[in-house]
Amino acid sequence: MSAARDKDAALRSFEAAWHARPGDGIAATRAEAMRRFLALGLPSPRDESWRHTNLRALAGRPFADAEPATPMRASWLAGICAAPIAIVNGRPLPAAPARTDDPALSIESLRASIDRDPASLAARLGSIGETESERWALLNRALFVDGLHVRVTGRVAAPLLIVHSAETARDDAAVHSRVIVDVAAGAQATIVEHHLGGDGHATLVNHTTQLHLAPGASAEHYRVFSSDAHTTHFDALEITQAADSRCRQFTIALGGALLRANLSGRLDAAGAEHDSYSLLVGHGARQVDCVNAIVHAASRTTSRQTARALAAGTSRVVFNSRVRVEAGTAGAQSNQSCRGLLLSPTAEIDTRPQLEILADDVKCAHGATTGRLDPNMLFYLLARGIDRAAAQTLLIYAFLDDLLTGMSIPGARHAIEEALIAELPGADLLRAYR
Amino acid sequence: MLKISQLRANVVGRNILKGVDLEIGAGEVHAIMGPNGSGKSTLVQVLAGREDYEITGGSVSFDGADLLAMPPEERARAGLFLGFQYPVEIPGVNNAYLLKAALNAKRKAAGLAEVDAYEFLSLIKAKMKFMGMDESFLSRGVNEGFSGGEKKRNEILQMLVLEPRLALLDETDSGLDIDALKVVAKGVNSLRAAERSIVLVTHYQRLLDYVEPDRVHVFADGRILKSGDKTLAHELEARGYDWLREERVA
Ligand SMILES: Nc1ncnc2c1ncn2[C@@H]1O[C@H](COP(=O)(O)OP(=O)(O)O)[C@@H](O)[C@H]1O
Ligand SMILES: [Mg+2]
Repeated sequence: MSAARDKDAALRSFEAAWHARPGDGIAATRAEAMRRFLALGLPSPRDESWRHTNLRALAGRPFADAEPATPMRASWLAGICAAPIAIVNGRPLPAAPARTDDPALSIESLRASIDRDPASLAARLGSIGETESERWALLNRALFVDGLHVRVTGRVAAPLLIVHSAETARDDAAVHSRVIVDVAAGAQATIVEHHLGGDGHATLVNHTTQLHLAPGASAEHYRVFSSDAHTTHFDALEITQAADSRCRQFTIALGGALLRANLSGRLDAAGAEHDSYSLLVGHGARQVDCVNAIVHAASRTTSRQTARALAAGTSRVVFNSRVRVEAGTAGAQSNQSCRGLLLSPTAEIDTRPQLEILADDVKCAHGATTGRLDPNMLFYLLARGIDRAAAQTLLIYAFLDDLLTGMSIPGARHAIEEALIAELPGADLLRAYR
Repeated sequence: MLKISQLRANVVGRNILKGVDLEIGAGEVHAIMGPNGSGKSTLVQVLAGREDYEITGGSVSFDGADLLAMPPEERARAGLFLGFQYPVEIPGVNNAYLLKAALNAKRKAAGLAEVDAYEFLSLIKAKMKFMGMDESFLSRGVNEGFSGGEKKRNEILQMLVLEPRLALLDETDSGLDIDALKVVAKGVNSLRAAERSIVLVTHYQRLLDYVEPDRVHVFADGRILKSGDKTLAHELEARGYDWLREERVA
């Protein structure tokens, strides 16, 4: 037997990693973030938004920064983009990626962005949040090794694919990475982030993406998680939207042992519209914990959230969404539709839509239902001679219809469906269906 | 073709079918009439294999096979078709797809290749035209947002595509106006053939003006009370069901 475990081993190892890092141009804000992170500690079940996800086992494990590596696998989303950008263990490959084929798109590594203009980048990271749910983002600010800074200045037709992979042969590797996307006034882009890898190692991935839409900008953003069944992934997505901007966001959770995916969206000026879609698939013993928080900080802002959760095996899927409409605003509209489908008696789904309305003139609706496959629908299909497994798969597919049909890149939808179908029974029939 | 002997079944613990005896020969059209709640739908759903209904006694043979031992999907592939009294809406499952998957399931069971996509489309379009259905129904979800009459037509359309050996049509006529009723009757009549049997569950005599039955059965309180030829339907229409119960008690 080993000596008594240090229940704060993870925290200590993050602190050690921090001390070992060479300083850079944003050291001040990193130091502040680290200090705050250490003072707060890891989230515990006593924290409201971490009630469902216990990190005790993780807290007792020391982690070490994943070394630079080269990519070992291709993304199954590669078909949507001629020149995908690889980020391996948090570092872009090549180290200074550039895409010159589209003048409306410029990409540099975050490291280069820091070195070129540290003050601007520090400002872009934003002020340090006060709330407990942002602890992994605090740690990310302190420790992100590198990442991308993407600037969109016009209409970019082709989707940009960013492939994040964890490539390591160790069981204690931690990857801290960040992507910043700025979409200028009137500009438009589609950004797909695909997280994969793990290879049987208990890797910790702590990633943050910041997405800003200037007035009149529009963006479709995907984050697709298909890491292997040993990966623990904390992902924070921070979206800020200016006047008349439109954001469509897809969170697709297909992999990992534990995935915690936060989305925080701020609609800062009139006319901003936000749609988010969450497809959360639990199977095996996986845990998926998704927390959305949308703030309507201006008048005439609209948000719609569509979440579909599937849980098989002994998996557990949590979807919490909170919409807050600030005082002094008028004409905000929000809709939250959360539906869960339990595929096994030992799986669990918790969905909780919440509204916090501080204004008078609002239109907000929310609904949450969780159930099993409808036996009447199933019998109807069986009575038409359809195989039982296929009938079940068809109904699962039907359950996801609103979400899948929301995707506007056919190639992404097709690839995501393929990956999803591979996890479900009756795969051949479903392929024929599409 | 179908022989039901002393069939008994419970629904959520309550005895609903109380010893049904019925024999249907190839090529015959039978009508089952009876008051609401007497167990007609329970009977046809048990025959189609609904699993939450508990069979407590009796037997059913279909073309010599033990029907009750077969799962619902096998019964369908063997040529049994249930036209639902309340067709189920399945949003997100495409109507055309269901038709094609159902047809292919049956073909596969018969050792045939999958239907050619082009052939299927022309087949289905012809059948829809025959049923007076708009082609836009194909791309919609199964029964999704269909009116009562549209749902019933859709059931008949499925029947025409699947060409079952035994069709059980559960109140396919109720809620239809006279024109829709004629269309449904036309669909049923078009399927009449020497090797095919049809059971019409109805509680109006109206449908039987358009589809002439070989036999009429009165169903009450979970069993068949009386059987006769088509004149029995007229008698029921004129006198109601109560005289039969009294006759039985007497
Ligand atoms: N799913 C069910 N749950 C509970 N009771 C049911 C269910 N289905 C039918 N019943 C009951 O079984 C009896 C017979 O119903 P049904 O077979 O639908 O009669 P019919 O078709 O002759 O009108 C009725 O009393 C009905 O209330
Ligand atoms: Mg009935």
